[in-house]
Amino acid sequence: MKDILNIVFRLTASCLMAAVVMGATFIFTDKAKKHNEHAREERTMYRLLGYGEGKPVPSTLALHQIYRYVITEPGRQLIGYLVPTTNAGKIGYTLVSLDLEGKMADRKTVALDVEQSREKEARDKAILAVIGPGKEIRFADHTIVVTDNGKRVAYLLGGKFPGFKTFINVMLALDQQYTTLGLEVLENEEDPGLGAEIEKDYFKNQFKGRTVDVLKGLQVVKEPLPDQYRQALEGRLADADVFRIMEQFKDKNIYALTGATISSRMLTDGLKGMVGKFVYRLDILDRVLKEQKIAVSF
Amino acid sequence: MKILKILLSAVLLALLFLPAWLQATEFIESAAFSGKNGIAVAFAVPVDKAAAAEASRYTVFEENDPDIKLSVTSAALGSDGRSLQLLFAEPLNSTKTHVVRVQGLEGGVDLNFKVAKPYFGHLFSILVAALVINNFVFTKYLGLCVFFGTSKRKKTAKGMGVVFTIVMVASASMSWLFYRFTLIPFHLDFLQIVVFIGLVSLTVQAVDTILRKVNPVLFNSFGVYLVLVIANCVIIAVPLIMSSLNYNFLETFMLALGAGGGFLLALYLMSSVRERLELAKIPPTFKGLPIAFIVAGQFALAFLGFSGLQLF
Amino acid sequence: MTTSSNTKPPWELLSRGILSENPIFRLALSMCPAVGISTTVMNGLMLGVAVLLVQVFSSVTISLFKNQIHPRIRIPTYTLTIATWVTVIDLVMAAYLPGAYAKMGIFIKLIVAFAIITMRLEMFACKENATDSFWDGVGMGLGFMVGMVVIGFVRELLGSGAILGYDVLGFKPLLFFILPSAGFFVVGLMMAFFNWVELVYKRRKGIQL
Repeated sequence: MKDILNIVFRLTASCLMAAVVMGATFIFTDKAKKHNEHAREERTMYRLLGYGEGKPVPSTLALHQIYRYVITEPGRQLIGYLVPTTNAGKIGYTLVSLDLEGKMADRKTVALDVEQSREKEARDKAILAVIGPGKEIRFADHTIVVTDNGKRVAYLLGGKFPGFKTFINVMLALDQQYTTLGLEVLENEEDPGLGAEIEKDYFKNQFKGRTVDVLKGLQVVKEPLPDQYRQALEGRLADADVFRIMEQFKDKNIYALTGATISSRMLTDGLKGMVGKFVYRLDILDRVLKEQKIAVSF
Repeated sequence: MKILKILLSAVLLALLFLPAWLQATEFIESAAFSGKNGIAVAFAVPVDKAAAAEASRYTVFEENDPDIKLSVTSAALGSDGRSLQLLFAEPLNSTKTHVVRVQGLEGGVDLNFKVAKPYFGHLFSILVAALVINNFVFTKYLGLCVFFGTSKRKKTAKGMGVVFTIVMVASASMSWLFYRFTLIPFHLDFLQIVVFIGLVSLTVQAVDTILRKVNPVLFNSFGVYLVLVIANCVIIAVPLIMSSLNYNFLETFMLALGAGGGFLLALYLMSSVRERLELAKIPPTFKGLPIAFIVAGQFALAFLGFSGLQLF
Repeated sequence: MTTSSNTKPPWELLSRGILSENPIFRLALSMCPAVGISTTVMNGLMLGVAVLLVQVFSSVTISLFKNQIHPRIRIPTYTLTIATWVTVIDLVMAAYLPGAYAKMGIFIKLIVAFAIITMRLEMFACKENATDSFWDGVGMGLGFMVGMVVIGFVRELLGSGAILGYDVLGFKPLLFFILPSAGFFVVGLMMAFFNWVELVYKRRKGIQL
């Protein structure tokens, strides 16, 4: 009996000690984790826009986040865009709800600040509080409008679609005419050495500089990648040569990865769908924002 | 043979719990994707031919994108007046649930129904994926210590595989309950490693005690493997994967079943080869583990062929 | 606390872990990551460091508290200790090295089920003093790390013609080596190589004697 009590006591004591150690680590690292993740995300974005070593990010550049939600009420569905708005120099957030025909159904100011808006939980809570009870929301996607000196220069869109094995998570940069500026594969679980090569420069840079019309009709071909093109894609040539070669190939199809044609095709199809939907939605959103004179910050 | 029966009955049991795929309206008998860019609908009663053939009456969109309507190029009603074939301008993404709305088809009533892959198919594909496509030994490289340690004899391999499957299913189910109802609500998911390993040890202890009391004969043949189960990464990997993919209970169950079955399969295949290897002439430097690794490598290459397999 | 009269020199404890009882090539323990993610030197190094830290921390913790541990709950206590340190390393890596952490995937968390760590606690740390346990842990951790790095070196060099991400060969000799299944072949061939070295060594010695 004494033995059992002894065991129980010691086990409890060691569990408590372990809990203290883990809890302390969690509290110390949680903030750093969020901060580093955000910094990493931002670095990826700037790299896609062409900034990095040797080309610092100008201070006039600003990123504006748009979060899209699907709002379900009894009898109808709405698309809610959480957009940043400027009100007397201060950034606030407004939820603009559109019906499925693209007409504005509702607009509400959401109580959020910039820090809070990065957290999915805080965002969801604030939106639910504003739209009232009996409605469901589902986060759909997240787009970033990049402005320089108040003028739009680019869009960054995130997307997740099926690959050969599981999902591919990407970020794509478009300029104002929706020509692609760059592609970054954030996550994938394709086979290493085969499908996982989609994250390598020589494949993902093939999507650079495609106009929206070219992108929509893009096909994947099973041909060897021309050596010159490969060198240009990997940035191993002089800038002028890279420009010339990229120009030459900008209407050509995508060269499939050796041994991973399906991964290549899935990525291409995923991007096509992503860009198509984005262009359609942005046109509608822009029209509504203009009609309703909503003072968005981008 | 016995193992097969156990596995089969487990699958049947899982089928019993499956929710039936119910259609939103009784007017629609069935609706499914057909071909790359079509949807086939079967009505319960014949409908008006002229009205049903008007493509403009149909609004179709993916459930997650209600604002983007897919353009219907044609709607063709079969001669029986009940089977409808919708064709679309672009290929459909059949992994997503589609919503179809029909305006004023029968007596001016609007119809609203969903088209999706059968849920059973989804669960089955998780099972098959864990079993062969992402086989835990040959494509995820987990549990190798036990794999090489217990694959010398077919008999041991089978025993080990069955014990593994049972413990895995039990511990994964418990882990799911714990994760879903304790760790997530209290924001304690950073404790998952400790909690999951604790639950695995508990399950092993429970199986040990129960087996010892209920079936001593079985315990004598399987009991030795139980100790090996605790310190093994396959068994702890299942709850970790479940938590990272946000699986529901049935999905977790299928994942655990597939992972255990896959381990059993790998052990059985390997032990069959190793029993023969003993009779073969092997260079002395390759005897034992080195040759076993190379055989496993060949199996892994063969299993690479399963990747991308889609049944549903 | 036992006195340090029976303290062994650190280099002896270190070399045991790296050479004569190398966890990967000699003891054939904890092979999952050796096969799974040893495609590059960097991956091997990162996981090696994580294992080293967990091993050292757990060894020292257990040897410090060895008199407080009730013999009947020995194994649960080891598991709890290891799980705690794995959680700590996991959280720290996720926070400060997000890029590398993403590549490791699930393997960092799976350190909790590594047989070598439990084995060292049971065979060494629960009997010896903290200093010795520290060096023993460092030795075993380094042994694991060396194993991972050597496999990673071979696979990265032969598979993608690079070392630590820098192109050194300029071409890719055998793409096969970065395919996941090649891990089995590389480990198998290396074990055979070590066996061969041992055999030759023994034969020479036999002739001399």
